[in-house]
Amino acid sequence: MESVISMTSVSRRYPRGVVALRDVSLDVPAGQFVAVMGATGSGKSTLLHCAAGLDLPTGGQVRLAGHDLTTMGEAQRTRLRRDHAGFVFQAYNLLSELSVRQNVALPFRLGGPRRHTVDEVLAQVGLAGFGKRPVGELSGGQRQRVAIARALVTAPAVVFADEPTGALDPTTGGRILALLRAAADRDGAAVLMVTHDPAAAAWSDRLVLLHDGEIAHDGPAPAAAEIADRLRGVSAVAA
Amino acid sequence: MRSGMIRQALRRNPWAFLGPGATQALAAALVTIGLCALASLDGAPLTAAQRATMTEQGVADIGVLFLVASIYLSILIVGVTMSTAIADQARDLALFRTVGATPARVRRAIAAQAALVAVPATIAGVPLGLLFGYWWVQGLVGHGIVPGEVTFRVHGGTVPIAFAVTIGTSLFGAMIAAIRPARLRPAVALAEAAAGSRSGRVRTPLGLLLVGGGLALSVVISGLDAETADNAGLFVMLAMCFGTGMLGPVLLRMAAPVARLFGPVGRVAADNVVARSRSLSGALVPLTLAVGFAAFTIVLGSTTEHVTGVAMTAADRWLTYAGTGVYALYAAIAAVNTLITVMQGRRRDPAVLRLVGATRGHTLRVVICEALVVTATALAAGSVVAAATLLPLLHTALGTWLPWVPPPFLAGGIIGTAALVVAGLALPAAAMLRHPPIEAIG
Repeated sequence: MESVISMTSVSRRYPRGVVALRDVSLDVPAGQFVAVMGATGSGKSTLLHCAAGLDLPTGGQVRLAGHDLTTMGEAQRTRLRRDHAGFVFQAYNLLSELSVRQNVALPFRLGGPRRHTVDEVLAQVGLAGFGKRPVGELSGGQRQRVAIARALVTAPAVVFADEPTGALDPTTGGRILALLRAAADRDGAAVLMVTHDPAAAAWSDRLVLLHDGEIAHDGPAPAAAEIADRLRGVSAVAA
Repeated sequence: MRSGMIRQALRRNPWAFLGPGATQALAAALVTIGLCALASLDGAPLTAAQRATMTEQGVADIGVLFLVASIYLSILIVGVTMSTAIADQARDLALFRTVGATPARVRRAIAAQAALVAVPATIAGVPLGLLFGYWWVQGLVGHGIVPGEVTFRVHGGTVPIAFAVTIGTSLFGAMIAAIRPARLRPAVALAEAAAGSRSGRVRTPLGLLLVGGGLALSVVISGLDAETADNAGLFVMLAMCFGTGMLGPVLLRMAAPVARLFGPVGRVAADNVVARSRSLSGALVPLTLAVGFAAFTIVLGSTTEHVTGVAMTAADRWLTYAGTGVYALYAAIAAVNTLITVMQGRRRDPAVLRLVGATRGHTLRVVICEALVVTATALAAGSVVAAATLLPLLHTALGTWLPWVPPPFLAGGIIGTAALVVAGLALPAAAMLRHPPIEAIG
């Protein structure tokens, strides 16, 4: 079976000559939870953006849910993202003036597939009964759960998470990671998470370490303490 | 369209739509004035001789001139305020693009906002225009500029034409403003929403081309006869106005270092102007227009008086000042609105300054210093626009290169512009500073 995310020799170089990614290849099958770590500036956010079609690589190929992103137009890429990908960001990125329900329903209001109801996903993230609340009234942890509900409502093949616990305390962050874990185990979604918290990475199946735009390590995720050691090892090379 | 894009935009920062709404209402009012002047003159029971006299004195097509100028001005000013309102939504638009709104969908939502704002604005503007139109026609008759038989008449097409102009200019401005947020890759849009956008690669060269073209035309017509120069003057003014509008961010970035001379407060202000040059240029454009247009008409009149020694008649004087006054007021209102929108959009900045240890007074001084940079830039750019349009006309008609600027006008212009900018930036900032900074951050 084909991988949900398939990146082949992907490079991303910015106009002023800065190279964010060089020759990165990464395949993620359905149901796998991958944590991408690395020092600030190692290219992890660029990797996520390129994998999701939010940005285009300057070299190589990216396939998402079986479609080659690199040959698509902007509108086509947008529809592919809408139908097959969910997003969770550190800054929540909810629409401040809309209710919880309106925020979660956004993907199918934009024409995405209606594979779950809003109530189903709100119940899954523990926010049953919160539908009518304005998101402005919620706590950080609740907002991030709304973002996860919005990511899951289309039953996407892949969930992209960019520092999803970066603004949360360990306990609240743990609830968010459990929800991402469940998306992989229960729904069979591929999860690609960028983080610099070893405790968050310990929830994943597989750890990818980036250094200076290249993959420095790719293997099963060990426990948090060992992840922290590995991360220091890679960063020491940088220093 | 029930995606919530429009609801989010209208609710998140309703102040952002004050600018487009107010300028569209005024555009509708100006168009109404022009149409009613047209109808009043055309419909008056005048003899052929009276009409011939009016044509000779150049007042017969005063309504048409006013109408055409109003439409040009509206395209520019409504466009600028609309794009400020759209720029304010950058973060939300980036999010919509990420979760699945196609570029076409974003453009449609922005167009819908533009049309939605234009409708109430026009409904408010037309009655205002009727009131001003009545006053204007009375003034024309009262000062003996047109014969006493002319009475105020309402043009039959006022409402549909006013709607066509406001919705048209609003859509035009919004579509130009939508090009960038709709086309950007979401990753770039998200980064820009956090960090502020970089200047355009098309905008600056196009601005340079327009200003260069305007200056070249200005030099060329200086060597021609007075009538040709007079007719071509409008194109010099248009090219210079649109050109300086495009160069706005560049001009502000060039002017900002001047603020560094004023100590630490000035240095913070200079950095802010550079960082916000794009949004602040939205206020620079109407200010430059107001300064350029007012300087052109008033200095043309005063230099003619000064050189020929013949004083303007009271009627001519009234016509010049009433027309200039209305346009300058329009541009001034647009500028203040844009400044308020810009200040509302960056409410976190003063709060951050205070959290790192600035007092209220200190923070306010930074904002006033920024306002003065914008003022100085607008005065300089407006003077260049006026000079490029004016000097060829003075040379061809009066044989002089030296404009005569009445000192009270010079002082009034500088103080007036400064007062506007300070009011637009410092008053909202002062209002924000009354709340604890942490509220703005949270």
